Amino acid sequence: MAMLSRRARNGLGALFCLGVLLALVPVQESIYRARPELLERARSRRQHAASMIGMGPTPAVIAALGGFRSVAADLLWLKADQVWHGGSWWAMLPLLEGVVELDPSFELAWKVYGWHCAYNLNAESKTDIDRNYWLQKGIEILERAGETNPKSWEMKWELAWTYYDRSHELPRAAEAFYEASRLPGAESYVSRFYYRSYENILDHDGIMRALAYARTQHPKDTKHQFLVTRDTNYWKWAWNDPREHRRIIVKENTARYQRAVPPYLYPNDPFWDVCPVCGMPVEKGKNAVCENLSCPNYKHPIHPQTATISASP
Amino acid sequence: MTPILLRIMLVVGLALVVSVIVLTRRAWLPGIGHGLPSIWRIAKITVAEARRRRVLQAVIALVILILLSMTAFSYLSPQEQAKMVIDGGLAAITVFGILLAIFVAAFLIPNEVENRTVYAILAKPVRRSEFVLGKYLGALIVLAAMVAVMTVVLVGVLVTLDHLIKDQAGSSFNPNLAAVVLAAVMSYCSLAVLTALIVLISTVSSTTMTVIAALIIWAVGSLQSQIYVLAESNGGAAKLFLLVLYYLVPHLENFDYRFQAANFVAISVPSAIGAVIVGIGYTLVVLVVASIFFSDRQV
Repeated sequence: MAMLSRRARNGLGALFCLGVLLALVPVQESIYRARPELLERARSRRQHAASMIGMGPTPAVIAALGGFRSVAADLLWLKADQVWHGGSWWAMLPLLEGVVELDPSFELAWKVYGWHCAYNLNAESKTDIDRNYWLQKGIEILERAGETNPKSWEMKWELAWTYYDRSHELPRAAEAFYEASRLPGAESYVSRFYYRSYENILDHDGIMRALAYARTQHPKDTKHQFLVTRDTNYWKWAWNDPREHRRIIVKENTARYQRAVPPYLYPNDPFWDVCPVCGMPVEKGKNAVCENLSCPNYKHPIHPQTATISASP
Repeated sequence: MTPILLRIMLVVGLALVVSVIVLTRRAWLPGIGHGLPSIWRIAKITVAEARRRRVLQAVIALVILILLSMTAFSYLSPQEQAKMVIDGGLAAITVFGILLAIFVAAFLIPNEVENRTVYAILAKPVRRSEFVLGKYLGALIVLAAMVAVMTVVLVGVLVTLDHLIKDQAGSSFNPNLAAVVLAAVMSYCSLAVLTALIVLISTVSSTTMTVIAALIIWAVGSLQSQIYVLAESNGGAAKLFLLVLYYLVPHLENFDYRFQAANFVAISVPSAIGAVIVGIGYTLVVLVVASIFFSDRQV
């Protein structure tokens, strides 16, 4: 720029820089569109700021760590591992909260955090209120995990499994299995668990709908196709067999009893009534009484209202 | 910002750039044939100077030691080990890359001025802008070599561990080497942008101030999304200040793909290309400003 005066050179240089910076703004916006996690992470950090105080690292600490959050998360994870082996289960919570705040893509940490609350701390609790609190906490954590990693089928699977196996909210579990099975990379067993959830509550429409859906998934997986066909044939026969209904009711309500979850009453089952106290099936009828010897409701009517009306003169 | 506004910004920006290039073509076109060899010679001298510095060799040896020590997490599950090694390795490359960028770039121009060797160079038919560009190119070559060595060692550690560690049910040591290399390349791109800024600051200030400013810029640049969100939720003077900070400081977060590499998450290639475009544009602006500042400086 030797031929230009100093003022002209500086002015043109400033214009050039302004032009480049203006042209870069749309490119930067497109980066944020392609990597929404950058802004979402910053936004959620502001929203959760109040709840994070006293639980995990504060936003200031996260900010100070700048680009090395992931390494800090790894160090906290190692500490959590050490605490786990030391048996201090309750001390793991702030560490795991720190790990997932610092590295929200660390799926294993989310899984362990949710599982630890919904299973270990739930089992360790002394009262039903505490048990329920930790179960709900675990579910809440896994829901957060799914929101933070919306493309991860494993996060949705973990949530669905907790609904299915731990809290026995089977319609919700079915929805979550369905959502997980639609995400890229989902294993074939996820779509099979979609109909398993309906099986356990004997929802005929749900089972058939989920079986039809499962058949459309993984068409080249011969093992999956074989299992879905086998289960479709099974349900064509089993739906009309009272013994199969009974078997499923006993299995589901025994599992619920072991988890301290109230029994499922199967209101629309064509063959069986279910005792609201112990969850065991009794042949359908207006005057059905519980036949479970170990139930406090033994020989008492399953439908008290109906029984009272029919007993009155 | 609305899409229309973004399009207007793109068109106006490109129009300004093209106009300035066309208007000043007589000033810079004849100098290209002479300027490029000069820039290359200065770059070669810069590389030769860097090779003589023991501190660079010591840093490289330290990084290799750290990367080799990553094999010590054998008590973890294979999947956890893979994450730890990739996270730690890429963080080591970034941290020591930043230190190397500061050590290499912050001393380039102030040392030449303090030792008065700059007079001997500027007495020759070398423009000051060519001197700045040559120094920057030299620093880039040194950093490229350093990052390449560190990346090769990290990949070597990962490949070795992949052979040594047996997979367990539901957990396998299966690093995505392409993602690791891409993350290291993007890390190098962020160093290139930071180095340009260090060169700019070193044209107008002392070495100590340059080092402090470089560290601050790196910290702010790594938190640009936070600044953007803060600007969204603020108003008045605070918003203006945050927006100025947001547009002036480089977006080093754009180049951070360590999360994806360590957590086996797919990397969005268009976003990586966008990050490189933003980096090149930003570096161009910084080098133009550095050249103007150094041309006006009394040495």
